[in-house]
Amino acid sequence: MTPLLLAPLGLAALAALVVPLLIHLRRRTEEVPLDFAALRWLEARPRPRRKLQLDEWLLLALRLLLVACLALLLARPAVLGWEDDSAQVIVAPGVDPAAARKVAGPDAPLRWIAPGFPEVAAGAPATGTPIASLIRQFDAELPQGAPLTIIVPSVLDGVDAGQLRLTRKASWRLIESKAGAEQPAPPASPALAVRHAEGQAGALRYFRAAASAWSDTPRFEASTGADLPPRASVLVWLTPGPVPQAVSDWIGAGGTALLGDTAQIAMPASSAALWRDGAGNALVEGGVMGAGRVLRFTRPLAPAAMPALLDPAFAATLRDLVSPPARPPMRVSAAAHAPAGGIAPFPLPPRELAPWLAVLIALVFLAERLLATRRRRFPA
Amino acid sequence: MARGPLQIPPEIRSRLKRLSLRTRSDLGTGGFGLHPSRNKGSGLEFAAYRAYEPGDEPRRIDWKLFARSDKFFVREAEQESPVSVWILIDASASMSQADRARPDWSRLDAAELMALCIAELAQQQGDRFGWMTLQDGALGLAEPRGGRSQMDRLQIDLARLQAGGTFPDAATLAALWERIGAHDLVLLLSDCFDERAIAMIERLAKAGREVLCVQMLTVEERDFPFDGGYRFLDPETGEALIGDGKALRDNFLERFAAARAMLDERLDAAGIRHTAHVLDEPVDLPLHTFFGRGALSA
Repeated sequence: MTPLLLAPLGLAALAALVVPLLIHLRRRTEEVPLDFAALRWLEARPRPRRKLQLDEWLLLALRLLLVACLALLLARPAVLGWEDDSAQVIVAPGVDPAAARKVAGPDAPLRWIAPGFPEVAAGAPATGTPIASLIRQFDAELPQGAPLTIIVPSVLDGVDAGQLRLTRKASWRLIESKAGAEQPAPPASPALAVRHAEGQAGALRYFRAAASAWSDTPRFEASTGADLPPRASVLVWLTPGPVPQAVSDWIGAGGTALLGDTAQIAMPASSAALWRDGAGNALVEGGVMGAGRVLRFTRPLAPAAMPALLDPAFAATLRDLVSPPARPPMRVSAAAHAPAGGIAPFPLPPRELAPWLAVLIALVFLAERLLATRRRRFPA
Repeated sequence: MARGPLQIPPEIRSRLKRLSLRTRSDLGTGGFGLHPSRNKGSGLEFAAYRAYEPGDEPRRIDWKLFARSDKFFVREAEQESPVSVWILIDASASMSQADRARPDWSRLDAAELMALCIAELAQQQGDRFGWMTLQDGALGLAEPRGGRSQMDRLQIDLARLQAGGTFPDAATLAALWERIGAHDLVLLLSDCFDERAIAMIERLAKAGREVLCVQMLTVEERDFPFDGGYRFLDPETGEALIGDGKALRDNFLERFAAARAMLDERLDAAGIRHTAHVLDEPVDLPLHTFFGRGALSA
């Protein structure tokens, strides 16, 4: 346990100790007028030599202590190595709290593996958190030597690609959970919303065909207007000429748009060819724009210019192009994902004493006020 | 100052019941009445007739003599208790001094209450009492009388009394010599800091009056509990002295004790019984000293 100051320059505030000393210096120049009939027996004598004399020692001591504590607060005192070495138990979301309590024992502190590591008693946290990352964080922030127990369901969701390696040998406890109960449904096929100019309906058929190929109940609509579909739909913008600002904004706010080759738009700098034909020529290029994605055909939508339109694989390719990127695999069998130890421990930040010091300051201040305002100090 | 009439607190009143005003001449003499004398008064023994004056009680008119002479005459009888008690209250400015610990209890307040106690004693045993408030240019005076109404008058007078000015000079005090009778009992309530007060009672004592003196002192004069810088002001002369309480203390206590010893000596030499009263003591204590059991014989 090593005490230290995080901002030692704050101790310069100790110079303020002079203030209470000055206040308590006896003011000999002060003269209280007083009726005194027996004056003639008072002998006028030269004033005693001015000595440094102080009044009310106890009050002065309290005030000095108060100022010193405030200066210390500015210097941010902390201790190194004063840590809580008690055993910790963390529980992955999805585990039944009662079952976790049975495994951990009746007195162990149970915390969810969730941002902030809330107590289990506080209620279930939101799901979809990066479990593996949080476990690493908890382990890194735990002082060396504190035993760690991790209670996880048999199928762990929210892990990342890295192996779980911790600074200590953690106890990895599995609790059988209803595996697959929350099997995610396969993503629905994209909904296409085509906007085209008059006399351009020829290209529509390829998209309608693709939509029909994706699903038995194709989600497809086409119009010559400029109205924007819901954000989950894919906007196919075939109108030639500059793309209206409304469409750009719609894309920037998170939409996905597929533009015809005649549409004029400033493509994002990160644009790259996303689809090449057999000869290696780019057919679709695109990139991220704001929070959304923009894709653009590089050729006219006619079989003569783009034979791939008639290719049997067009529907599947188009679907891959407009679907949002798939979620990386995050589920793992917990038994196979037991953490390994052996990482070098991280240096823990020193523990600041400011809250304790603040309490001490409040107490000293209270005592000072009590002493300074007590009735006996001011004789009537 | 708007004050209610001064009242004697019940505990002091109960203690007063054990006391009686006695003069030195009472010692060894007994007999009918507490203070026998040849003075005229409203007693049983006939002394003389005198002409009626407005203010005399009608019942004291001798109606048989009126029938004979067609003139009002008043029968004067020998007074059974002819000793008059004179209460002299010093009301100079120094008497208004109070302790800082108890600013509403000045020397004068204590003197007033003490005067009331003396009057109560006098009234209880049928003695007449009068008073004089001694103040420069404003000599308050009430001729000795007995009775309840005198008591009320005293209370009113005291309620109006305010300390101020200096001790009266000899010319003002001349009224005093005319009134205080040869065997009257005189009680002076003063701080005894003024030489003229001492001279006055010395002269009274020499003239055969029995004089008792209570020196009223504040707690601060006894203890001098000052610490820190003060500007001491004499309320009568206006002189001021600036000094540090702690530094002045020892010297003051020494000199003040010497002054008091010298005063004691002077009063003893003049045959004046005296005591000192400090403001934190019970007000009736000096009366017990003077009139309590064994006080005179000691």
